[in-house]
Amino acid sequence: MLETKNTKLMTHLDSELKQIKQQVIEMMTLVRNQLAKGKNAVLTFDKDLVHEINANEKRVNAMELSIDRAIENTLALYTPVAVDLRFVMASFKISADLERIGDNAVGIAKYINHVNEQLTAAELDKIKFVEMYENALLMLEDVFEAFEKEDTKLAREVFVKDKVLNKINLNAASITIQFIQQTPDKINNYLYLLSIIRKLERVGDLAKNIAEELIFYIEAKVLKHHKKK
Amino acid sequence: MVWRFIIETNGRKKLNGKMQVLEKQQIMTGSQKLIEEKKTIIEARDVNVFYGHFQALKGINLTIKENSVTAFIGPSGCGKSTFLRCFNRMNDYIDEFCLDGEILIDNNKIYWNKIVVEELRKEVGMVFQKPNPFPKTIFENVAYGLKIHGIKDKTYIEEQVVKSLKDVALWDEVKDDLKKSALALSGGQQQRLCIARTLAVEPKIILMDEPTSALDPISTAKIEELLFDLKQKYTIVIVTHNMQQAARISDKTAFFYMGDLIEYDDTKTIFTNPKQEKTQNYITGRFG
Amino acid sequence: MTNALKNKLIDNAFKVFGIICTLFGLVILGILIFNIAEVGLTRIDWNFITSLPSRKAEKAGIYTALMGTVWILFLTAIIAFPIGVGAGIYLEEYGKKSKWANFLEINISNLAGVPSIIYGLLGLEIFVRAFNMGGSILAGSFTLALLILPIIIVSTREALKAVPSSIKDASVALGASKWQTIWNQTLPASIGGVLTGVILAISRAIGETAPLIVVGALAYVPFAPSSPMDEFTVMPIQIFNWVSRPQHEFAVNAAAAIIILLLITFMMNGVAVYYRNKWQKKIKW
Repeated sequence: MLETKNTKLMTHLDSELKQIKQQVIEMMTLVRNQLAKGKNAVLTFDKDLVHEINANEKRVNAMELSIDRAIENTLALYTPVAVDLRFVMASFKISADLERIGDNAVGIAKYINHVNEQLTAAELDKIKFVEMYENALLMLEDVFEAFEKEDTKLAREVFVKDKVLNKINLNAASITIQFIQQTPDKINNYLYLLSIIRKLERVGDLAKNIAEELIFYIEAKVLKHHKKK
Repeated sequence: MVWRFIIETNGRKKLNGKMQVLEKQQIMTGSQKLIEEKKTIIEARDVNVFYGHFQALKGINLTIKENSVTAFIGPSGCGKSTFLRCFNRMNDYIDEFCLDGEILIDNNKIYWNKIVVEELRKEVGMVFQKPNPFPKTIFENVAYGLKIHGIKDKTYIEEQVVKSLKDVALWDEVKDDLKKSALALSGGQQQRLCIARTLAVEPKIILMDEPTSALDPISTAKIEELLFDLKQKYTIVIVTHNMQQAARISDKTAFFYMGDLIEYDDTKTIFTNPKQEKTQNYITGRFG
Repeated sequence: MTNALKNKLIDNAFKVFGIICTLFGLVILGILIFNIAEVGLTRIDWNFITSLPSRKAEKAGIYTALMGTVWILFLTAIIAFPIGVGAGIYLEEYGKKSKWANFLEINISNLAGVPSIIYGLLGLEIFVRAFNMGGSILAGSFTLALLILPIIIVSTREALKAVPSSIKDASVALGASKWQTIWNQTLPASIGGVLTGVILAISRAIGETAPLIVVGALAYVPFAPSSPMDEFTVMPIQIFNWVSRPQHEFAVNAAAAIIILLLITFMMNGVAVYYRNKWQKKIKW
């Protein structure tokens, strides 16, 4: 909620909203870590990391439920209006988006269980795997910081980075076809690689969604389904 | 058309280009469109109200359209009740009351000496916070307004009484004994009786000063439902401390603070995205 | 002992004190009535009530005095009621904003405390002499009316004040003029209080002796009055007259007359209480 000049009295509603914000930030941190671990798991082929990611998935889901419950209570008991209402609505959607990012992180990591050998550094480089992953993680960091600091300028930078992801995603299909033609028996790996790229693009979209929710909550501007400025 | 109102109200910051563009893109809902086409029935031009040296209202500019419900909200002592009572000149009885500026009802100035105040009050009725039925029978209560305006036709009076009681959904509850004392009714019934009493003289405008604040939730809900029906035929202005009530029943809301009109806009806008910080602070409960 | 116990003790102590005070008045009244009844009850019979006064105690009756009292009460009521209630309505509803309002209010309360004999002197000068009414019932009625006027005015104002302003607001908001509001709402709602005040004022008038003597009520009037211009006497004067005679029989007569007078007073008060209660029930705010 926007800071008011009258900070003497913190109403019950204020502390409820603060708690919701805390929980969302916690969930953001967890989800970001999941995604980062996923990157390491693919690059280092570490099966232990995969176990960790799977275990934490339960925590991510539990957090979403907890945030949902808190929001339901706030709506019922406090009937918030204006900026408070927008905050609650945005948090509701953001927690769903975060849960989906978590799912994607788990999906990426699970790839290791389905293949028996790593991809070469050259292959990863060609398809710009690391660049894409780094960008996705940066997008998450940007939008999470924007949420914490209520900084819509920072949120808007996410839209720019998303374009990078989209570009890499567009090229990914053709590069994958090249890989398959060159080394047909690694087709499994390549297909999974492509699906990881798709998942990362999806993460980018979700980060963009979170940015849109944030801008709606702070500026009451609806950017959904509009051309971005 | 929406932003024309916004420019006319007092105390608003000048809109920048961006806001206007955004508003054009907003789809106007059906009921909003209807409000734009209705005529103005109450207009306040630069109204200042003084009680002796104390200024209760500062430069209020406001227009209210026919057949709408307008809510006045604001903290205690902000001037909303004072402003309401200007429309039927009930403030005249307060010592040292002085009004500067103009108030027009149906395009007629009401604060000048050619006005017959009793005629004005026939057109502009009022319902008070605490139900105040006369210590007479139910029938006499509703018929009183007609009687004092010189109507003697008994059949007509009876018809009007029945019609008014039906309009406020009280008829079924009292039809068996209209000679019962009005004071024997419950609080919610008494308030509906007071509304029927006001309706009997067929006013154009009904002013309500916190009409449900003394009632239980069920009576309150009944009266709020009533207002939705009454809106078709009358213009209603309601002062309320209950913000959820204002949000539920009004088309437009005006927020007053310390004698100033801070913001006056569609209720939806006030409660989802008010333009003034003071308004937001008030409706989110952060002060007031 | 604890605070609660101490408070309870004080509570009970006060209750006892209150009962004693009440009983004190009742007991004295009881003794008085018993005394009088003992002396005069037997004297009361139809003869006593219908006989004219006479020098012989056995033959003397209270007829003239009773009729005089009735005439005086009747005329006083007719004169005082409209003037008093009208003045009360004006002062309470119309006169409040004028500069005179405060001044008038203080002075009307003062008038209620002026000794009744002064009213008698005033009545003598104005009604008996200046208006040339002579020592008649009319002069006496006007004088008494003046006397009880402040009481009626004050009680009317109190009764009107007790009507909640919410009723007046509701009436005005419907478009009623000030007079319509008073006539249709305020006055009917306050009529109980107004009438109670009038009856109590008149009960007081019954017992007034001094002003009537000054105005010219005679002590010995051997005929019943038949018009307002007639000379007259009233019960208190007749009682006073009999009490001053040396013969014991006249004392008995006086006692009997006192009983009748008390009966009338109690009856009037009873009527006042009855109507007050009746109207109170109708108007529960």
